[in-house]
Amino acid sequence: MQPVPWLWSCTSKKSKIRIIVALLISTITSIMLLVNPFLTSRLIDEVIIAKNPEPLLGILGIMLVVKVFRECTRYLMIILLEKASQENHLNLRIKLFECLQYQDTRFFDRNRTGDLMTRLSGDLDWCRHFVSYMGYAIVDCVMMFVTTLIFFFFTSWKLTLCLIVVTPLLLLITKIYSGKVRPLFMAMRERLSEMNAGAQENIAGNRVVKAFAREEYEEEQFDKRSGAFRDAHLNINKMWLSFYPFIEILAHAMSIISVFIGGYFIIKGDITPGQLTIFTSLTWALANPMRQLGNLINDFQRFQTSANKVMEIYFRKPAIMDRPGCKDHEDMEGLIEFRNVSAKFDRNEVLTDISFTVRPGQTLAIMGPTGCGKTSIINLLTRSYDPSSGDIYVDDCNIKDWKLQQLRRHMGIATQDVFLFSDTVEGNIAFGNQDMTFDQVKQYAKIAAADEFVTGLSEGYDTIIGERGTGLSGGQKQRIALARALAMEPRILIMDDTTSALDSETEHYIQEELKKLPFTCTKIIIGQRISAVKDADQILILENGKITERGTHAQLLENRGYYWQTYALQNDLPMDGGDD
Amino acid sequence: MARNKFDVDETLESPFQLSHLKRAFHYIGRHKFQMIAALVLSILASVASLYTPKITSTVLDEVVPMGEAGIPLLLRWALIFLVMVILSIVFTQIRSRIMAFVSQQIIFDIRKDLFAHLQKLPFSYYDSRPAGKILVRVINYVNSVSDILSNGIINLILEVINVVVIIFFMFSVNAKLSLVVLAGLPVFIAIILFLKPRQRKAWQQQSNKNSNYNAYLAESIDGVRVSQLFARQEVNCSIMKRLALACRKAWMRAIYISNSVWLSSQLLTQIVLSMLYITGVLWMGGEIVSFGVILAMGDYVHRFWQPITNLANIYNSFVNNIAYLERIFETMDEPIDVDDAPDAKVLPAIDGKVDFNDVLFGYEEGQTVLEGFNLHVNSGERIALVGPTGAGKSTVINLLCRFYNLRGGEILLHCEDGSTHDLSKVTLHSLRTQLGIMLQDSFLFAGTIMDNIRYGRLDATDDEVIAASKAVCAHDFISQLPDGYQTKVNERGGGLSQGQRQLIAFARTMLSDPKILILDEATSSIDTRTERLLQQGIENILKGRTSFIIAHRLSTIKSCDRILYISDRGIAESGSHDELMEKKGRYYDLYTAQMQAI
Repeated sequence: MQPVPWLWSCTSKKSKIRIIVALLISTITSIMLLVNPFLTSRLIDEVIIAKNPEPLLGILGIMLVVKVFRECTRYLMIILLEKASQENHLNLRIKLFECLQYQDTRFFDRNRTGDLMTRLSGDLDWCRHFVSYMGYAIVDCVMMFVTTLIFFFFTSWKLTLCLIVVTPLLLLITKIYSGKVRPLFMAMRERLSEMNAGAQENIAGNRVVKAFAREEYEEEQFDKRSGAFRDAHLNINKMWLSFYPFIEILAHAMSIISVFIGGYFIIKGDITPGQLTIFTSLTWALANPMRQLGNLINDFQRFQTSANKVMEIYFRKPAIMDRPGCKDHEDMEGLIEFRNVSAKFDRNEVLTDISFTVRPGQTLAIMGPTGCGKTSIINLLTRSYDPSSGDIYVDDCNIKDWKLQQLRRHMGIATQDVFLFSDTVEGNIAFGNQDMTFDQVKQYAKIAAADEFVTGLSEGYDTIIGERGTGLSGGQKQRIALARALAMEPRILIMDDTTSALDSETEHYIQEELKKLPFTCTKIIIGQRISAVKDADQILILENGKITERGTHAQLLENRGYYWQTYALQNDLPMDGGDD
Repeated sequence: MARNKFDVDETLESPFQLSHLKRAFHYIGRHKFQMIAALVLSILASVASLYTPKITSTVLDEVVPMGEAGIPLLLRWALIFLVMVILSIVFTQIRSRIMAFVSQQIIFDIRKDLFAHLQKLPFSYYDSRPAGKILVRVINYVNSVSDILSNGIINLILEVINVVVIIFFMFSVNAKLSLVVLAGLPVFIAIILFLKPRQRKAWQQQSNKNSNYNAYLAESIDGVRVSQLFARQEVNCSIMKRLALACRKAWMRAIYISNSVWLSSQLLTQIVLSMLYITGVLWMGGEIVSFGVILAMGDYVHRFWQPITNLANIYNSFVNNIAYLERIFETMDEPIDVDDAPDAKVLPAIDGKVDFNDVLFGYEEGQTVLEGFNLHVNSGERIALVGPTGAGKSTVINLLCRFYNLRGGEILLHCEDGSTHDLSKVTLHSLRTQLGIMLQDSFLFAGTIMDNIRYGRLDATDDEVIAASKAVCAHDFISQLPDGYQTKVNERGGGLSQGQRQLIAFARTMLSDPKILILDEATSSIDTRTERLLQQGIENILKGRTSFIIAHRLSTIKSCDRILYISDRGIAESGSHDELMEKKGRYYDLYTAQMQAI
């Protein structure tokens, strides 16, 4: 789809009317620009030269009315366009934000935050600019050019034809320039996005930068990107300046033709001096739109570049979304079943032939070496990714037949990489359930062993914690994340290495609390420590994406495999008699 | 510490100051010669183009009446006309090239300084506001001010010259009528002065709302996985809608006000023109002024009010952009808590011996985290810090890296050349490059795995990178990836598990070849077997280096030379594992509890 029709299709009916009215105003008022010079010439002829003050006030009155009418309607026009463009902008912002919110995880794996930010701020702003400014700027230019030409045509069609000769040349230059400058605008847009992404990551990773004393290196990198952005700008300017003389010569050609060819026509007796005066006094009305053309092309190219970036998101369908005809589930029991599930990430197989069943209320623990695919199981269960083969069932219903929102609403996940929002502690805990009372928030904070330290913060539950939970220790962040998951009162509680940064006393406390939750739920625990997993009804050992052992704590110790080794390592037991 | 949230406006502390303009001129002043050249070229270009109407009138008045005989003359004038046009084009083209460079260079300079300052700002600055609000200043605001600081200034000067020249011409034609023309000016100025504070406030408001929007946007993208898992998209969308609505409201308000500036100037022009004709014609009745004078004056009204309107427009965009400029300078003025002392020396090669003498510290006013903290670490010693979450283990490390300044006491570093240096009196760069710090969160930059590890030491060869990965047991999984070390990662994930990311971050730290190694929960996401292999792998690297290790899994730190139990603002217990177990104190309790739990 082309950017302009797309933008028009995103415009509400009300705004479409606004835009049409505004462009009508623009049409009328750009013609009116020629009225006052005409009245002035009458004033000069009838009042000043004729030395007759009588019509003076009348003409001045008309001029004033015309002017007041013109400027006030133009003010109205601008407000109408601003209103339309703001409404459009607002709707696009919301719509794009919504698109982003529902994109699949793979999309976010591939796109940098800084680039997405550029699309939703700078790029979107060019769409706004197009609606609010370019429409009437183009109409103004065209109308002024055309009405002047028509006026000229009736004055002297011969001279007008001489002037029109310039137009095809102008169109040709415009076309060549548009083609040449387009890739330059795209390049500039990329440099902007790179600079944006670089700066964004520098800010997000400022701790790492400081820890490695890489400030100078970061500055160098940033200056390089910022310099590339500057050069991209200058390239466009260079390109424009190589076309500028031609456009400017053509604009001046209007006056040259009217004066000199016109002069020649007078000599030949084809036109009168009076007719020529009309031409010479109004050549600006032809030349100015031509001069504007360059700016309009630049703006339009920039708009197109940006609009394409915006449209990429606007039209992107997430790979994972509700299947047509998927069932409504009011509630969830919490029965989970994996049937021969395999998963790939890029070309890499991360899970192979995984099968297991967890009954409602039971606890499943998953353990295994780093990168063995533990978190991938969670990612599949929450449908962050879809398996490459095999099926996953929740309550005997394939999760692809669940509504995504309903499926996830019944799951409470404390992720490994804790991301907290810049909000109050209370707001963070009640993240998935806005309607919670304070008492409930406190209750779940208590279960997650967070209440004590939160109460100790300067403003308790009203303390605003920084993005990503900066300012809190790793263990504190994990506890808030756990409270947040519990606050969902989920049917399936997933704890992905949630207690790794906690001391053992706190961990033990949480384990005890989890046994007496006020709601029943199936639990999935991923952990590295024996202490975190040993009480589970079923423990899976995952190695290289395959289940190599399964059973209870006692059974696995019997097995003398990975689990037993880990147990021995953590317990400082001698490793003899292992069958590994 | 009062933190800022995405939906809280950042109030601007300082009122509008002239010093902001002065600072802006500091950036412009670097290009004064180019600016002057551009100004001269502009004047030349307008002189050349002003000459063309004169040619037109000569041709029409003198050449055309000559009839057929005038045709050769006509051609000659046409040639002169063309030359003038070309001259004007060339001058304008050069000016435009110069000014494009100047305006881009000004943005570049401001951005460079702003970014450099951001690099020096302490953690607390980043911790206390959403990242999006910082970003929008570096990128969007700087873009916004460029034009006003370059072409805006030139046009300002040109228009002022224009106004002065026209006033001069006007008075030379007729002083009384000139006064009529000028009469509109005080009214216009009054209107502008009336609108100015409202306009400034409106644009400030607009930049605030925009900043909020950007902050929420950045955070939502970073935290999108959490939002999706908690099925919170609808709530997020409604928050976004609220922020976008606030943006629109602020924008429309600013637009209503700003546009009334040109509206009033246009209307005033017309009123002045009417007054001119009326007074002119009335006087003309008494034969005071000739009709030629009125004609000329009518022309001057336009020529006078056009630059005045332009000036109002320049002023207008100046007011809009000053709101951004203020934010930029405000960020540049943000105090650097931790900075090189004026007489800071470069720290010579350290030998790893560290003394904490009577250290006093708290993150906030009135809060004490460490008090009377004394610790003497020998070169090559392996120190473990244990204790309850939030007791101050990370604080000890933060102070050693000088991420914060001490409130009392001192930290001394011993060097290979036998000298001793106070931590606060050496340059930060020379200090931190000698420390290897592995932080709790393993942030990776967008780029290849190779690049990310090399961040630890920029001049490391590929082989050295691979050697470091091998030492921390990361090599195996990296080489199994389809693209190996060239696999692209980003800050959010890209297919790596948390443990794998931690291993990469670990390799990055090991590569930096530090004298003192600091590991803050460096292996929390790594499985026990890999952890053991890793410990054996780095054994050789650790030899001869002082290390500080924070870990919750006590089995990982048992072999340390000295274990410190941090609690109650200081060291509660200290000694080797065996000594502390013997003592049957708090470490003993902690250790036995952990063993029992298994």
